[in-house]
Amino acid sequence: MECYSEQMCALAVDGELAPEEARRLREHLATCRRCREVVDALRAENRVLSESLNELPEEAPVAFAHSGRSWVWGDLAVMAAVLALGTITTIWFHQLSIPAALEWFDPFSSSGRTNLLFTVSEQIATGGTAMLTDYAAVVGFVSLLLLLGWGALLLGRGRVRQRGLGLLLVLLMLVVLSLPGFALERRHAEFVTVPANETVDDTLLAAGNTVRVEGVINGDLLAFGQTVEVRGTIKGDLISFGKRTVVSGTVEGSIYDFSQSLDVDGQLGHSIYGWVQSLRLNNRGHVGEGIVVGAADVTLEGDVKRSASIYAGSVDVSSSIGRDLTIHGGALTLTGTARVGGDLSARVRKLSDVHIDDGATIAGKRDIQLKVGDNKFAHPRFYFHQAIWLGAAMLVGWLGVILFPGFFRAATQAVGSGWVSLGLGVAVLAGVPVALIVAAITLVGFPLALMSLAAYLAAIYLAKIWVGAFLGRILLKSSGTTKGDWMLGLLVGLLILTVVGFIPYLGGLVHFGVVCLGLGAFAVELYRTARPVATA
Amino acid sequence: MDAKRNMAKEPQPRESGNRQLEGLGLESVIARAQGRDAEALGEIYHRYARRVFGLCRYLLDSRESAEDATSEVFVKLQRSVESYDGSIPFPRWLLRVAGNQCIDVLRRRQRGLKVFVEVESESAVIDAASPEPSPLGAVISAEERAKVRDSIARLPENYRVPLLLRYYGELSYDEIAQELELDRNNVAALIFRAKKELRRRMAPGSK
Repeated sequence: MECYSEQMCALAVDGELAPEEARRLREHLATCRRCREVVDALRAENRVLSESLNELPEEAPVAFAHSGRSWVWGDLAVMAAVLALGTITTIWFHQLSIPAALEWFDPFSSSGRTNLLFTVSEQIATGGTAMLTDYAAVVGFVSLLLLLGWGALLLGRGRVRQRGLGLLLVLLMLVVLSLPGFALERRHAEFVTVPANETVDDTLLAAGNTVRVEGVINGDLLAFGQTVEVRGTIKGDLISFGKRTVVSGTVEGSIYDFSQSLDVDGQLGHSIYGWVQSLRLNNRGHVGEGIVVGAADVTLEGDVKRSASIYAGSVDVSSSIGRDLTIHGGALTLTGTARVGGDLSARVRKLSDVHIDDGATIAGKRDIQLKVGDNKFAHPRFYFHQAIWLGAAMLVGWLGVILFPGFFRAATQAVGSGWVSLGLGVAVLAGVPVALIVAAITLVGFPLALMSLAAYLAAIYLAKIWVGAFLGRILLKSSGTTKGDWMLGLLVGLLILTVVGFIPYLGGLVHFGVVCLGLGAFAVELYRTARPVATA
Repeated sequence: MDAKRNMAKEPQPRESGNRQLEGLGLESVIARAQGRDAEALGEIYHRYARRVFGLCRYLLDSRESAEDATSEVFVKLQRSVESYDGSIPFPRWLLRVAGNQCIDVLRRRQRGLKVFVEVESESAVIDAASPEPSPLGAVISAEERAKVRDSIARLPENYRVPLLLRYYGELSYDEIAQELELDRNNVAALIFRAKKELRRRMAPGSK
């Protein structure tokens, strides 16, 4: 009998031959070794195909319509207990009458928070700056080596096309430029000093326990240190991350300050922008333009040529403010020597905390309003704003689910991994800014840092959308599989988050949790998406 | 074929949770789902989402598209489950639905172009069988299986889709022919050629 074709054998192995034909083939196989071998080989092949395909290569969906047990009531109960305990502790802490001298210790007061922030940043500044500059140098050097190696390899294989070579050259230039010694002068030591007889022509990046400038810096000074002192002259701006920053010399540009305390005793060409625990402008100090600052305590004894906008726990003014003085905060004192060239507007908690000496001069209007008692819930404007906020978030969610349906749904689902997302989110929230600073120090890393910063901020905003959608879906018990379901879930979730957000203390904690959860989910999804896919 | 026996052939649920229907036989779950019971539909989802997603993931080019297709399949299931009559095993029926969904997606992307072109089952396949060892038959290790998947993913759509419907979806040639709107001989030829091409790509020395 004539042998069967391979395709016939394949049909037989797939069970697709007509019964009569199949019987004839079986009879033939009993006598023909050659065909039997073919059939056996085809069978083995089919088995391998099925086995290979049934091992799903990756990321099977984490049951996105029914979230399983990743975030069940038990977890919610633990969360609620933690929140309740946190709220009770917070309220108790607030009810204690803390002596003013110890207020910085209260982690819930604004000065306590700034103190905490600066203690942390000081740790990074003193211990971490060595790491930052060394890291930048090492990363630059390693990148250079890798690029050179890569170039040599490509040249060796003769694979360099013109465009590739151009790209390589640009990358090499960037890395070489970013290595220490170019464009930006870096100094790192326990005690970094620019002595009185020295002039630095570049922008100086200084990191150390103490950074002291007695000479002249023609560019900007970017300083990290426990103490940053400017006694000489900075022709550009001063950007300071110090525990204590003292300016007794001259800064011709502006001061951008993130310090625990900033004392200005000298001359400033432009403005002060800062987030500090205490700002003190001494009577010899002079600000050429204005002040925008958030602080626990602000004392102005020196003159400010233009306006000052201050968000602070307590503000003492005894000098001249050229234009308007705007205060949001606790206490305000204007002494007899104070002079405001424009309007005084203040939003304070208690009228009794406002002391304006009779000798004080206010050229413009005096507008002092109480913050407490001004019930925002009574204003229609408040609801209007909330509606706009909600509408914007819904719009962003809608765009997201239209443009990146898989990613948005998966991120919503990833919120359900609960503690994992939360923990990861805390790490991302805290870690990314540090990574950004490290990246920004190298020239190559700077654009990358800017882009990452944008993504980071966007993710913080999107966090509430993913968490809102997840919350809504759990409560509605919807499958969340259609866009309509997802949007409805988002609406419900966002409404709840918004309302909870207005509960004192608890709202803040919930908001923090939402951001962490959302960031964590984002990180998980980003990782999954970025992972190479075996089948694609 | 006996519907009850078909229904009894069910894969193990992959997750355990607080599901009341967890221990229930597939037949009753389907009956309840046909009565529009949301919990029963959820249970079907739990049991088969992974498998359905797998097919969609193999057929479509990105995880996102696969997830969307999987969602669509289970949304449509709320209505279409009523039409399941037990004549073929439920998993196979469900994978047919999933296959249809993905093929629709592929067709929409091609904007009316014919995705699955007919081929003749001509001379090339009438050669007498040659008992040469197939590189596919020798696949043993996990890496090699990953390479098989990778090679399948790189096959032209014309070959890839029928091959996957047959060996992952376990659909019959007739069912595949229906889905692809081709005749049965064409499907046989496509699958045969797909395997030949796969062998060629898996052969030692070929990249």
